[in-house]
Order: sequence, then structure tokens, then C-alpha cells
Amino acid sequence: MTDLATDLAVELRGVSKKYRYFTLDNIHLKLPRGQIMGLIGANGAGKSTTIRILMGLVHQDSGEARVLGHSMPAEQVAAKWDIGFASEDMRLYDSMTLGWHMSFIQSIYSTWDSAYAHLLLKRFGLRADQKIKGLSHGQRVKAALLLVLARKPKLLVLDEPTTGLDPVARHEILRELTNVMADDSRSILFSSHNTQDVEQISDQITFIDRGRIIDSMDKEAYLDRWRRLRLEVPLGIELPALPGIIGVEQQGRLAVATANAFVPDLAQAYESTGAHVQRVENMTLEEIFIANVEHSREEVEA
Amino acid sequence: MRGSMIRHLILKDWRLNRMPISLSIVLGLIALLVAQCGVEAVRLLGSVWFFISLCVLGSMLPGVAIVNERKKQTLAFVMSLPVSSVQYTIAKGLSILAMFLFPWLTLLISALVVIETRDDIPHGVIPMLIILAMLPLIGFCIMSAAALVGESEGWLMVASVLCNSSYWFAWYLLARMPSLAANWGRPVAVWNPAAFMVLSSEVGSIALIMAITFFFQSRKRDFI
Repeated sequence: MTDLATDLAVELRGVSKKYRYFTLDNIHLKLPRGQIMGLIGANGAGKSTTIRILMGLVHQDSGEARVLGHSMPAEQVAAKWDIGFASEDMRLYDSMTLGWHMSFIQSIYSTWDSAYAHLLLKRFGLRADQKIKGLSHGQRVKAALLLVLARKPKLLVLDEPTTGLDPVARHEILRELTNVMADDSRSILFSSHNTQDVEQISDQITFIDRGRIIDSMDKEAYLDRWRRLRLEVPLGIELPALPGIIGVEQQGRLAVATANAFVPDLAQAYESTGAHVQRVENMTLEEIFIANVEHSREEVEA
Repeated sequence: MRGSMIRHLILKDWRLNRMPISLSIVLGLIALLVAQCGVEAVRLLGSVWFFISLCVLGSMLPGVAIVNERKKQTLAFVMSLPVSSVQYTIAKGLSILAMFLFPWLTLLISALVVIETRDDIPHGVIPMLIILAMLPLIGFCIMSAAALVGESEGWLMVASVLCNSSYWFAWYLLARMPSLAANWGRPVAVWNPAAFMVLSSEVGSIALIMAITFFFQSRKRDFI
């Protein structure tokens, strides 16, 4: 067994998958055990394809995918005993009750925790005797999550778990995911295009766009490294291209520079050219994501 | 791990599809009762109803048990369980085959009992009854294969139209085979080489359809 199998919950090495109108291109991804990774991308960025490859549901054309030490898709059966998977487009059987689904999952997994399942029923405001077709979208998502959580998987893989949920339901789900991490041997990989959700609970963040990973690092590193500098530029002064600045938008005498590797020296470097640094602002994860995507697309097109 | 995943999936399918199976058995048995009637026209109606029940069941089950799983997006739930695409295909194949065979055998055995207990129906029709009853079973296998491999309602509909429109033609041809038709009126069932050849061809067709299905399923790279 390699080091991949022991330390990492998920590792993708050079994974590619080509479709007629979309290519997932040379994906490298590492999720250490005990961590939460948020996979952020716009619709059609490749989040679901990446997750399906991780689950063995789609076979990559090239590259290596390992999950909990198992090579995917070859060892998907062994891996899936320890993976809890839920996706936004996954449905339960409409004509059956939640209780029936709970019994079905319990009959399969010896790790099923009935007490925890009943606790989750209460926390999520669900009834075991209710048929799935009578549940709202939010209740269906919670029901699917209950089925996944109560069997205590080592890795949770969630594809857009909070999409379409109201703020209360989103909060309940994110709180439960945070509770899961009380056990440090467990890991979560979840995709979303909602950066607030990802920012709230993730340790690591990966941005994906047009089938390519454009950035992946610790959440704190993102928030530390990305800054927006608001500048006043006197007439006749031209702003230099500085390392760590990925874009400058100028309108008249006012300019905004976006830094992806901010150090205080950058502000001094602008001051030394004659520009005046009005403010250095922190960026939200959403702003970082958008700036990152735009920069990446410009690089690709250039 | 609690038991085989294939067993779990088969039991799940059976629980989910209890209603259509029960309904088809009830309809088939009503058809057999109607066929018991002394009036020739009503008896004919009952026999036709009996075969139609098998044909309807054969068309309906692949749609309900296979295509609906994709259409209603429950396949992702099943595939999130520790099961591979080949195991899923084995489980699905066995479960729907059993779902079809249960009413098919019930109806066939009931029909044989009727023939056995009624003096006015010659036992010579038994080989033909079994040969003809095999056709909906073959059709069911073709439609299930189309649903599994084609993964869409469209392919199932094409297979369903082709099969359901071919039954009557196939029955017509078989009924006109002199070596089979000559023995219908005999008081005992005659299993001549022609009857064996047709029956073994039917069984061989089923085996071939299954082999082709597993071949294509095992080569699939994208399952969802």
C-alpha cells in the first residue's frame, strides 16, 4: 500500500476525461484525512464529473484516482463501503417511506447507528413514516443526508448538497457536517457553487473552471493571500506590472489592483511609483473565486 | 457487510414492484378462468387475454424496474451503495427475470393444470403452448436488454414495438409448421424433433441475449 492509501482520503493524479463538448483536463487533487474540502465551480465546470470519477461511476480516460487507499474505479465496491455519497440530482424512491429507506440501508451496513439516525430525524424535523413523494426539496436533501450520515462513513462525498435549500435548511445541514468532523478520522469533499457554504465549513478549497483545477489551497491561505488595493493614480503615472498582481482595472484616476499573493511590500511598490494606496481590502471567497476564474480564462485565451 | 449486495438489490426491487407483479398474476388468472368457459368464442378471448397479460407484463417490467431508475434519478442512490456496474446488472437481471418468471410460471402452470384436468382439451396442445409462451419470455429479455444497455425510454420503446408486433407473426408461423400443427389434436403431448428444435432455439436465444447484455454492460465506462 502506498502513502496515498494511508494519509489521503482522496487523491487524483492527472485525471482526464473527454466528452464531445467537455473535457476534464489533467486534474490533480489531494484531500488529507480528517479535512473538509470545498470544490467550487460554476455550473458545468466539472465538479460532478470529478465526483463521479471519485465514486467509480464514470471511468477516467487517463490518470489515477484513489479514494481511501482504493484505486477507482477498479476497487469501487471496497471503497464505497466507507464512502457516503449524496448528490443534488440523487432521488430516493418516491413510493416508499423514509423508514423503509432507513431499514434498507441498515440491512446493508453494520455501521448503521440507529440512535444517531433517530437523533437526525428529530434535528432535521423528518418523520420516518412519511413517503418520500410527500417531502419538500429541503426535506428530501435532509433525508438523503440522514441515510448517509447514520452509517458513519469515513468519507462523505457530497455533490451540491445545499443547492436549492432555504437558509435555515442550509444552516442545519452545514451544522451537521461540522458535527461529523468531531471525529478527526473522517473527511468530507463537497462541491458547491455557493461560496458562502464552502467558506463556512471548509479547511481546503479547490476552484475548478472549464474542466481544469485553477487553484487549490487552505482556506486561510486564500483569505490571507488575496487582497484588493484601491489606488489613486495621478495623471502621467503609469502603474507597473508587479509580481503577485493578477489584474488592474483603472477608470480615470482611480484604479483597483487585485493581488493573489499579497505582501505589504506591494503597497509600498505602488507608493514608490507615485500612486497613492487608499485602502487595502480583504476579499470574500466569492470575490476571490470570480477573480481567479477570470484570471485563469484570460491566461488560457492569451 | 451484511450479506450479498446482489441479494439486497433483488429484494429491494421485489419490494418496490409488488403491485405490478400481483396485478399481472390476477389478470392472468382471470384470463385463465375465462378460458375455462364452454363457449368457444369466450374461450378464445380468455386465451388471447392470457397471452396479452404476459406481453404487457414483459413490456411493463423493464420500464418500471430499469428505465424508471434512471428517469426518476434513483440510480445514483443505488450506485452510491457498495456495488459495481456489473453487480448492478446481475442483480437487476436476476430480479426482473424472477419478477417475470414468477407470474409467467404461475400462468403457464395454471394453463397446464387446466389442460390436464379438462377432458375436452387435447394434451397435444401442450408443446405448442410452451413454445408459444416462450415468445413473451424472449421478448421480455430483449426489452430488458434494450433498457439496460440503451439506458433510455426510447430504446425500450423501440424494442417493445418490435417485440409486441412480432409475437403474432411468430405465433402464426409456428402454428403453421406442419410438424408442430399436426400433433395439436392428439390426446397426448408429442415432443417430436421439431418441437425440441424450436424450444431449444428459444432457450438459446435467451442465453445469447443475456450474454450480449453482460458484454455491453461490462464495457461501459460511464454508468451514470
